[in-house]
Amino acid sequence: MNGLLNWILWLPIIGMVGVLLTPKAKENAARYVTLATTFITFVLTLILWCKFDNTATTMQFAVKFPWIESFNINYSIGVDGLTLPMTILNGLLFFLCTLSSWTVEKSVKSYFALILMLQASVFGVFFSLDFFLFYVFWEVMLIPMFFLIGIWGGENREYAAIKFFLYTFFGSIFMLVGIIALYYATGKGVDSFNILAHQGGKFVAEQVVIFGHSFSFEHLFFWFMFLGFAIKVPIFPFHTWLPHAHVQAPTAVSVILAGVLLKMGTYGFLRILYPIFPQAANDYSTIVAVLGLISVIYGAFCAMAQDDVKKLVAYSSVSHMGFVMLGIASMSTQGMTGAVLQMFNHGTSTAMMFLLIGILYERSHHRWIVRPDGSKGFGGLSTQLPKYTTVFIIGMFASMGLPGLSGFISEALIFLGMYNRFTTITVIAVVGLLIGAAYLLWMFKRMFFGEVNPDCKEYEDMNAREVFYMVPLCIIVIVFGIFPSPLLNMMKVSVGQLVDLLAKFA
Amino acid sequence: MLEQLLISASFYIPELLSILLMCFLLMAEASHSMENEHGSRDKIYGLGIIGLLVILGACIFNFTKAPTAVFYNAVIIDPFSTLVKIIMVLGTLGSVYLSRSSKDIYTNLKSEFMIMSVGVLIGGMLLASANNMLTLYLGIETLSILSYVMTSLKRDDATSAEAGIKYALYGGLTAGVMLFGMSHIYGQLGTIQFAEMVTKLSALEGQSFVVLMISFLMFFTGIGYKISCFPFHMWSPDVYQGAPIPVTSFFSIVPKMAGIAVLIRVSMIFFGTGSAIAVTWIGLLHVIAAMTMTVGNVTAIGQSSVKRLLAFSSIGHVGVMMLGVVVLNEVGVQAILFYGIVYMFMTLAAFYITSHLSDMYGTDTQDVFKGLIYKHPLMAIVMVGVLFSLAGVPPFSGFVAKFNIFSVIIEKKYYGLAIIAALNSVISLYYYMRLAKTIIFGEADSEEKVPGFTGLNQTIIFVMFVPVLVLGVFWESIMNISGYAKIFIR
Repeated sequence: MNGLLNWILWLPIIGMVGVLLTPKAKENAARYVTLATTFITFVLTLILWCKFDNTATTMQFAVKFPWIESFNINYSIGVDGLTLPMTILNGLLFFLCTLSSWTVEKSVKSYFALILMLQASVFGVFFSLDFFLFYVFWEVMLIPMFFLIGIWGGENREYAAIKFFLYTFFGSIFMLVGIIALYYATGKGVDSFNILAHQGGKFVAEQVVIFGHSFSFEHLFFWFMFLGFAIKVPIFPFHTWLPHAHVQAPTAVSVILAGVLLKMGTYGFLRILYPIFPQAANDYSTIVAVLGLISVIYGAFCAMAQDDVKKLVAYSSVSHMGFVMLGIASMSTQGMTGAVLQMFNHGTSTAMMFLLIGILYERSHHRWIVRPDGSKGFGGLSTQLPKYTTVFIIGMFASMGLPGLSGFISEALIFLGMYNRFTTITVIAVVGLLIGAAYLLWMFKRMFFGEVNPDCKEYEDMNAREVFYMVPLCIIVIVFGIFPSPLLNMMKVSVGQLVDLLAKFA
Repeated sequence: MLEQLLISASFYIPELLSILLMCFLLMAEASHSMENEHGSRDKIYGLGIIGLLVILGACIFNFTKAPTAVFYNAVIIDPFSTLVKIIMVLGTLGSVYLSRSSKDIYTNLKSEFMIMSVGVLIGGMLLASANNMLTLYLGIETLSILSYVMTSLKRDDATSAEAGIKYALYGGLTAGVMLFGMSHIYGQLGTIQFAEMVTKLSALEGQSFVVLMISFLMFFTGIGYKISCFPFHMWSPDVYQGAPIPVTSFFSIVPKMAGIAVLIRVSMIFFGTGSAIAVTWIGLLHVIAAMTMTVGNVTAIGQSSVKRLLAFSSIGHVGVMMLGVVVLNEVGVQAILFYGIVYMFMTLAAFYITSHLSDMYGTDTQDVFKGLIYKHPLMAIVMVGVLFSLAGVPPFSGFVAKFNIFSVIIEKKYYGLAIIAALNSVISLYYYMRLAKTIIFGEADSEEKVPGFTGLNQTIIFVMFVPVLVLGVFWESIMNISGYAKIFIR
């Protein structure tokens, strides 16, 4: 039974080897192997959900054995309520992305092999309970991303790939310094790389000296780790890699990037940063909240200014991840719950948007709402592509946070949770929702209504494969918009523990 | 007396074998007929490689022996020096094998490279085991003089000749300064034996400190030049670029490891005990390590020649290795040795590929790497893997090596240094990634495969790449071996 997590983690790697072994001439073989692998993995994550005990307070399905004994590094994995939503999301999105990548023609084998490697490393990040293991997965993830953006991306892909890699590496190397510092702060003991063992504010009293100045260990290394996670989220002012990476990345990679990779950052806040440095988290909550607020407002305004629809959605991700940060900064039960829920919901709704843009791009080969010369890139799509329009409306409204769709619940919870602590910030953040509605509707108006653009007349509506991978997402955003309790129950205990822990240091 | 010498010699088998090998190769080369040149070269290379393997075996056999000072305390054989020797022999083997397929050396020359590399190896071995000032100086000079010649092996090439002269001038000057410093140290302490110097050092106080500090600084010049750390690094890019690629690969492993070994030994013996003068030395190493990393990495950004890029990056790596010296403890030494082992494999693989490409296309600019993934996928994947490893990205062993270095400096709470090292990692990642980008994302000029890369060559780079990958995941055994290689003071 305990092997389930191992299977989920390593099955993609087995699939990757399988893909690499397929004959070169038969490109479809690689596709089907990937599809089978991601599908089985997804089913396994659902089985994991079924077997998951919502009331347990410890890590479930935990597997642990020594890896490097002299350093007390363990291969230690497990899931709890914070991890499980991300696990399911990861399983689902990779399965859908495989379907959406069916049309990739360039070096098919390598593409799918890298996709599977990416999936395994993302699972690894979410499952790891050992810092060293966590860091290895966190960094390994960069390698397939680098190649996926750099080889299969758009025109400016090389720049985007390098920028993405460098930026993330910059953050994570500081995180590494923090991890090693924690290792020595706990005296190199058996649990020195154990993420859970560090939790609970054990470093409040420690001091460090840098160049003759004394700092509080907790407050200093809070920022070291913060840098690593904030770049991943990304929070303003560390967001500049995101629009490039998104615009240049191929559709499936954008979906994965927005859907799960960004969540690794916020997950880091919830699993590592806040529980390990609760005092600093409380002390700096206003700064985090303000940065989150700037991300919300600034991201939304940036999105409004974009002429490229993919860039628009990329900036909307900055804005929506800002809400997650606000929820985390609130440190209240509702806020934290909202944040975790928003992580899941943003994963599904943004995935929809990017998939839809990918579908359109395959037909039009451009993404301009307004072309650089001022003419309209699209127009009147609603009359030409009825199925597409329907799905687009669902995705857009889910992203906007319309009541009845999933985005609303999480955003509402976040606002509820943060109102007491940051009243002013809440009021301003609500404006972010308004701007969000404005840019999405404006984009919709320009693309789907009005006179039919001559080019658009030749576009075909979504085919069966495209409908097949969009429908599950539509169902999810609607069902979890009305009935979010399965997700809420899943995370209730874990979020509760985290909030209690943080409250002790308030 | 004779008995004493014989006992000493029994510990000295690797060195004696090397000397025998060099003499033998020299005679074999000289006595061979002028005709049938190619055949003689093959034989000499074959014999040389076999000889090196035997030396490697002798080193491994020595590794588990208890540390002993031999030849009246002139030389110390401890697991530390033996491990450094093993790394150097492996590096020599790799470079020699690399030279076999290099146009510059194998096609245009007789077997000079083979013979001289063994000579440099002898110098390196002497240096790694040095237990007094004289042996140290002897080692450095043996190492250097042959290195000057090796640099100019491309006889009709102007840059190669220039590099040789530059190396010789620079080397002569620093050796002089070093000797000057040594003589002052001797004047102050009255002995050249390391162990006796330590006891005298702790008894000194007052004015002698100033003289000693300056003399140790001069002493450091010689070592610093050998490991090419800031500010003695100026020669290294020109020499690396001018020299034939196998020589460059050889230089970035053997003399460097020997220099690092002597730096570790000197630092640990003299300053590991926390004497009053140690603060100065540690401060000096702090600044120099930080500057070496930064200068090496920042300068590497602008390089278009891959050889030169690797040269500057090796300066950066020396800076990182020096961090392990700064902490002056056993885990630091352990981390450096691990780094050295990993670095050797990475360097050999990187130079192997660069050498082949530059032979094929006549230049070593980054352009020849363009679209390598289409021309030769295996080469490209290995090269990119090595670049990731050099930058310190998991799951490659370069990450583990860097992790260990970071770990020892953070243990000592040198956070400032750790931050500088972290920033340097990012800088180095940038230029490595740029090369990786050229390899993977660049459009190839032609679809044709890289010619002449035979199955054997492919096997060799694969064999070099396996440790780079495997040591990134299963590194405990090598780490334990490095940990076993402690320094003994006698």
